[in-house]
Amino acid sequence: MKAGALELGHASKVTSSVPKSGVNRGMSILDLFIRIIAIIATLGSAIAMGTTNETLPFFTQSIRFRAKYNDLPTFTFFVVANAIVSAYLILSLGLSIFHIMRSRAQASRIALIFFDAAMLALLTAGASAAAAIVYLAHKGNTKANWFPICQQFDSFCHRTSGSLVGSFAGVILIILLVLLSSIALSRR
Amino acid sequence: MDSKSTSYETAINVSETESTKQKSSTAAPAATIVATTKAIPHNQKGGWRRGVGIFDFILRLCALVAALAAATTMGTTDETLPLFTQFFQFQASYDDLPAFSYFVVANAIASAYLVLSLPFSIVCIVRPHLVGAKLLLLILDTVMVAFTTAAAAAAAAIVYLAHNGNSTTQWLAICQQFGDFCQLVSGAVVASFIAAFIFILLVVFSAVALRRH
Repeated sequence: MKAGALELGHASKVTSSVPKSGVNRGMSILDLFIRIIAIIATLGSAIAMGTTNETLPFFTQSIRFRAKYNDLPTFTFFVVANAIVSAYLILSLGLSIFHIMRSRAQASRIALIFFDAAMLALLTAGASAAAAIVYLAHKGNTKANWFPICQQFDSFCHRTSGSLVGSFAGVILIILLVLLSSIALSRR
Repeated sequence: MDSKSTSYETAINVSETESTKQKSSTAAPAATIVATTKAIPHNQKGGWRRGVGIFDFILRLCALVAALAAATTMGTTDETLPLFTQFFQFQASYDDLPAFSYFVVANAIASAYLVLSLPFSIVCIVRPHLVGAKLLLLILDTVMVAFTTAAAAAAAAIVYLAHNGNSTTQWLAICQQFGDFCQLVSGAVVASFIAAFIFILLVVFSAVALRRH
């Protein structure tokens, strides 16, 4: 009776541990997939912002006739932050593949969560700083006498606004990555 | 009774029964099943997690102080210049710039979240083996990292522009007129970055406390 109960308990433990590691493996594969999409998003943003270069055909006295991304230091920071985050994501692909093979690794998952959180902060900082400048470029500010430059530099504005989309998508994807890693960590 | 500092094992010998069909699934061809149970004293394992939980609670209080300071410092800026020129407005307040309004709102939301998460943190200290509460706190902390960093970075971009101006876009540096306003706003941005950094620490500590053995 007691032996039967113990064997029954042992058997039930065997049958329930197989789907558990299967779910963990599925989450690791999803993690890899999301990482690849995030690489594409951040790399696309960096390239889209980095290749902006608009020259106006005419020349006025008060406004320069050329706009590039490194005329505004915030946009330079944006390009650098996106480049760093996409390089980190490419490097962490190896660790993600390792987690698919070894679902029970704990210390490496905690390290991955830490670096993912740090990169999340960096990416969000770059994206939101550039968003503040883009908003200013669209609307201007009457109190500070800051003129909205989008009325002159149209394609520059469009390009910078578009590259923000990819960067914010990367932010949401990295939040999902931290989520997946923490769920996989707690479900051991 | 043994000393509380070491874990002890008990071996239960169970003789083989008639139901050998289970053997093929277990692949353990032992004549007797030896079940070892590691009986870990509750307060030792709980003690380590309790320490992490207490540290988490203290960090939450520090983040609350930082976020509240950032929100109130930015929200109470209102500088009026004694002089009046043709080109500049003579009054600067935080709601003249939408990035600063978002900054105040975001830091207020972060402070409210921290106040509401303090009971959850206390629950995690009292019951260290509760996984669901820890996971919830970790997820919300991650979202708050992004939220707070976004607010701090947007305000920092505007503050940088206010300090230095920009020659390409002909944006003038307004800090030369509004000195006090600029100082208060810069201090608020620094406090918000501190709160964001503490949120990252909270995420890491929650992850460390989540792992099982």
